[in-house]
Amino acid sequence: MEIKDRILIVEDDKSIVNLLVTVLKANHYEVYSASRASEAKSIVSSQCPDVVLLDLGLPDADGMSVIEYVRSYSQMPIIVLSARGHEQDKVRALDLGADDYMVKPFSAPELLARIRTALRHYKPAGTPSVVSDEVTLLNGRLVVSYKKHRVFVEGTDVKLTQNEYRIVALLARFSGRVLTYDYILKEIWGPHMKDDNKILRVNMANIRRKIEKNPARPEFIFTEAGVGYRMTE
Amino acid sequence: MKKSFFVTAGILGIAAAVCFLLQQFVSTDTHVPLIFVMAVLCISGFTEGYLWGVGASIVAVFAVNYAFTYPYFRLNFTLTGYPLTFIVMLTVSISVSTLTTRIKKQEQIRIEIEREKTRSNLLRALSHDIRTPLTSIIGDSSVLLEQNADLREEEKTMLLSDIRQEAEWLNRMVENLLSVTRIDGDGGAIKRTDELLEEVIGSAVSRFEKNHGDVKISIDIPDKPLLISVDPILIEQVLLNLMDNCVYHGEGLTEIRISVKVLEKEIEVGVFDDGCGFPEEVLPHLFDGTLPFLKTDRHARSGMRIGLSVCRSIVRAHGGILFAENRKTGGAGVIFTIPLSEYGN
Repeated sequence: MEIKDRILIVEDDKSIVNLLVTVLKANHYEVYSASRASEAKSIVSSQCPDVVLLDLGLPDADGMSVIEYVRSYSQMPIIVLSARGHEQDKVRALDLGADDYMVKPFSAPELLARIRTALRHYKPAGTPSVVSDEVTLLNGRLVVSYKKHRVFVEGTDVKLTQNEYRIVALLARFSGRVLTYDYILKEIWGPHMKDDNKILRVNMANIRRKIEKNPARPEFIFTEAGVGYRMTE
Repeated sequence: MKKSFFVTAGILGIAAAVCFLLQQFVSTDTHVPLIFVMAVLCISGFTEGYLWGVGASIVAVFAVNYAFTYPYFRLNFTLTGYPLTFIVMLTVSISVSTLTTRIKKQEQIRIEIEREKTRSNLLRALSHDIRTPLTSIIGDSSVLLEQNADLREEEKTMLLSDIRQEAEWLNRMVENLLSVTRIDGDGGAIKRTDELLEEVIGSAVSRFEKNHGDVKISIDIPDKPLLISVDPILIEQVLLNLMDNCVYHGEGLTEIRISVKVLEKEIEVGVFDDGCGFPEEVLPHLFDGTLPFLKTDRHARSGMRIGLSVCRSIVRAHGGILFAENRKTGGAGVIFTIPLSEYGN
């Protein structure tokens, strides 16, 4: 018997639910759907889905409460569906522990790619956390070596400074996922660096000049305006 | 409220000071009521509502009686002729302040009407624009639903791709409208952060390429990192609109070029294409709201107009300017300025 990944759709708009169910079933996922936060919470705890697709505007409660509920006991991937222009919501959802977000309207291939990324990153409880020695991206064009503390682009050491290396290493560890400015700042400079995004921008500008051919046409690290950075997969 | 109080107190104080000063040199006191009437008039002009003006006139009546008419520094309403003087002054003061208040109210109503007019014009243009793609979406999808069996595969594909194209057009329109609410919301001030120019351009271009992967784009920016003080979402929208316009209106387009010039306190960003350029008759009217509908336009809608005027409002809200031109080498160009961040460049 084929083992399917199970996806919970939390969304109150009927036609979007129809669309998502059709696309996901056609791509061999098992699908549950909930139109209310309370229903979502009970399905999460009874069925333990592999991925949650979550719309933030629900009729009975703020979608954020679903993220908090799930994160109180599980690391299952949560992908938030949101509208453009609501950067604050995205940032809040990500900081609460959502794994990713998709801007409505999105295309089916985009959605499937995000779900695959989320599933790949998810390590269920009990799996030993294996820290690999290196991360290789875009057919080996970018290699982040955690052992040597170096980053190689097309085989050449790009000579990053300590902080630059830590930023790239962090983004590479979560490649394919967007990390918020705040999250990166806290990871690299500690909890007191809140709100000083200039230092991060300057470091990113330097990193880009070392690893990208053209800083305005990045191949490795992308900017999500108003939210954060995402490294390619 | 606090401000109105200080304005009232200040003006009355000045009037009193002037009267005291004049008292030293002039023997009569007939000018006193006139000066206070003038003070009340000024107060009505600078404060909101009737209350401050009326209050000031009552205070003025007592002040004049108390300080500037014989017997000095005593209230006395019994002298011959004085009650009449004070009643006249009170009446004059009250009518002046009611009058100025009414004028101010009428002015406000006029502005309100003006704003309402532009709003309803915009709404009318929008609903017209929105109905066209909706008609085709509803039509195409009902044909697909009801006559599915009679349609050939390529006809179905055509209808479906039309539906998608129209829906994407609607989506762009909605994003522009959202940008407008982003400028107008929260007291009219945009939320600025220090952003890297290359990131804003990079993310706009990669969003654009999602829809138009076949269009060649070249980016020519200084190698030095540049920090700009902007709302990145809005500037991204400007760049996206300008690139979209190149594709939808630049007949014969092969390449879009984005180039950046650094000036003293701002940068100049230009989006150029090598298409057909703006028609000469359109160029002077791009922003004055009288752009004629062009029969030759493939997308005979005001999409370009709305897109461009949204760009202009966004750039203005950032304290920059935006203008359009035809390039000498052919093709259209739109150029805008944005301020550099105050520190760190």
